Amino acid sequence: MEALHPRIRLFWIAKGAIGAIALGVVLAAVDQWVTDVPTAAIAAVVLLGLGLGIAYAVQLYRVWQYEVQSDALYLERGVLTFVETSVPFVRVQHVDTQFGPIERALGLSSVVVYTAGSRNADVRIPGLTPDRARDLQDTLRKLAVESEADDGV
Amino acid sequence: MASETNRLHPLSGAMMALRRGFTGFSIPFFLTGVGSGILGIDADLTIDLLFVLSPLGFVVGVGYGLAYYYRFTYALTADTFDVTSGVLSRRAREIPYRRVQNVDVSQGIVQRLLGLAVVSIETAGGGSTEATLRFVGSDEADRIRSEIRRRTAAVDDASDATERSAATDSLSETADEDVVEPQRDNDAARGDRSTTLLFELEVGELLVYAATAFRWGAAVFPILLVTLFLDPDSGAGFLPDFVFETARSVGGPESIDGAPVDALLILAAVAALQWFVATYVASALYTIVNYYGFQLGRQGNDLLYERGLLQRYSGSIPTDKIQSVTITDNPLQRLVGYAGLWIETAGYGPESTGGNQSAVPMAAESRIYRFATALTGVDRPDFRGASPLARRRYLVRYSLLAVGVVALAFGASRVTGLERWYLAAVVVAAAPLAAHLKYVNIGYHVGDDHIVIRRGFWRRRTTVIPYYRVQTLSTRRSIFQRRLGLASLVVDTASSQTFTWSEPTIEDIDLETARTLHETCGERLQTALRERAGDDVGLSVEPGNRP
Repeated sequence: MEALHPRIRLFWIAKGAIGAIALGVVLAAVDQWVTDVPTAAIAAVVLLGLGLGIAYAVQLYRVWQYEVQSDALYLERGVLTFVETSVPFVRVQHVDTQFGPIERALGLSSVVVYTAGSRNADVRIPGLTPDRARDLQDTLRKLAVESEADDGV
Repeated sequence: MASETNRLHPLSGAMMALRRGFTGFSIPFFLTGVGSGILGIDADLTIDLLFVLSPLGFVVGVGYGLAYYYRFTYALTADTFDVTSGVLSRRAREIPYRRVQNVDVSQGIVQRLLGLAVVSIETAGGGSTEATLRFVGSDEADRIRSEIRRRTAAVDDASDATERSAATDSLSETADEDVVEPQRDNDAARGDRSTTLLFELEVGELLVYAATAFRWGAAVFPILLVTLFLDPDSGAGFLPDFVFETARSVGGPESIDGAPVDALLILAAVAALQWFVATYVASALYTIVNYYGFQLGRQGNDLLYERGLLQRYSGSIPTDKIQSVTITDNPLQRLVGYAGLWIETAGYGPESTGGNQSAVPMAAESRIYRFATALTGVDRPDFRGASPLARRRYLVRYSLLAVGVVALAFGASRVTGLERWYLAAVVVAAAPLAAHLKYVNIGYHVGDDHIVIRRGFWRRRTTVIPYYRVQTLSTRRSIFQRRLGLASLVVDTASSQTFTWSEPTIEDIDLETARTLHETCGERLQTALRERAGDDVGLSVEPGNRP
């Protein structure tokens, strides 16, 4: 089993921080225009949000694992709901590599695997170095082509 | 291969021209309305403008409609179904026959009188119909459907010729020998246009279906009736008079203003009951109108269906595109021993319910199971249930929910002076029953070629998934499940019913069992793929197995 790149924690923490700060801004706006919210309470909410975000990021990194098995891509992830998914190579429709602005700043990339299954079943592996992402994309593409028998649709 | 290019039915050209013309005619009214209202343009000037602009808009609209008609062509080529359309921006679409999921034909009342039909061609991609021919002649609709069928078979034959023997071998393992029969039969039947009748909905079955199928969607119908046909001034606001009259006889209030809470509750209960009855009647009528004269037949490798009293639906479903088969029933239907059978493809159905088509809307349960067996080769499943710990989990879940309801009632009593709020505690007593019912309806069966998953109490679904249709497998464990050592297994297929129904999930089994099952399904998928060796034969039905 392969773990993600440790820097992915920074990415998740950044995402959590953005959420916490947004919440803080909303509370500040409420304070300004609607009703008094003590500054200490706003700070506490933001700090709590940050703390939860960090704890979540650390735990998510700890559980996130994936593996290219003999006939399927296997992933384990999830903090609240732990999910083990296998995606048989035959079912891979196409494979993307993607990265957003934060990921790019951190030098990370994601691989997204699409199947013909229901929409939310598309599988994303975040926290890969760009080289590893390209490598994985190539591997998956080759395996998908090799095992192609019938697309099941 | 040469192919002719076709246009839609001339009448649809005329209709399109008229419709566009009308749109073009009305746009100036809208614009001048906005102009005089917001910009304060002089009224006389607007009327003068209308005299010029509206006829002009009409001419432009008609021209556009006619241009659209003349620029819309379709053709059946050797390998693809081509549609070219668009006046200003052109679109040429080629749909390979191999990718066609189902072809549906529908006819409204007016269209039936005029001999027109709408043909929809579905593929697995996207969330909408890939090609819609809005109005071809009904004969032409039949021709298109059977041509697509014939050519799909021809394309399959060309690519499968080398693998045919392997496929026949794999099929003989799929089930007993009578399933091999249709395969030989299919080869002959591919040229054969004759249709074998598999199922015909009898009047009794239609009535059972209408009486037991409750469609929540029909709930808008009473609202529509009340808003359309009742004088808005007759009732007290949003409630019509007759609701008050009925409620008064059982202690309802004279009017909403200043009425005590208990009386208001009675009024709400009476209104809800009447609404429920009206919804029930509307839902039954909907069922009768939509499923009247339902027939399912087989033509070569395709299933053909036909239904509808006013609007007629017909279409074909290639058996080799079937993703899964689901048997549905609700408590009422179980009580009278009836059930329905649905077929799911990766296409998109005409009623936008996802690619699920009713194969047998309603029939006695034993007949449904015989039919499912004929369709999938699965034997009557021998269900294993969820872990006994699951029942405890549901009991806790529903008890918490019930406590929440009681707390709400208590809160309401503080605010509104509602008396006897503690009567809400009745729901706590219902929690064990609800937990038990949810628990006993969970079941799964691991067959040689299929996995069968059953879940739900109110709308129980029993889904038969061939291993070779599995897309992804997921074992999920929430924090609560982890505490109890339970897991849920999600078996995802390409069936588009998962957009409207939930994915087939075996809920709350032991973690060990879930892991084993996860592995088993993965292995059997690989085995099935090797056996099939690239030949997409799919599920077979044959006339000898007529239930």
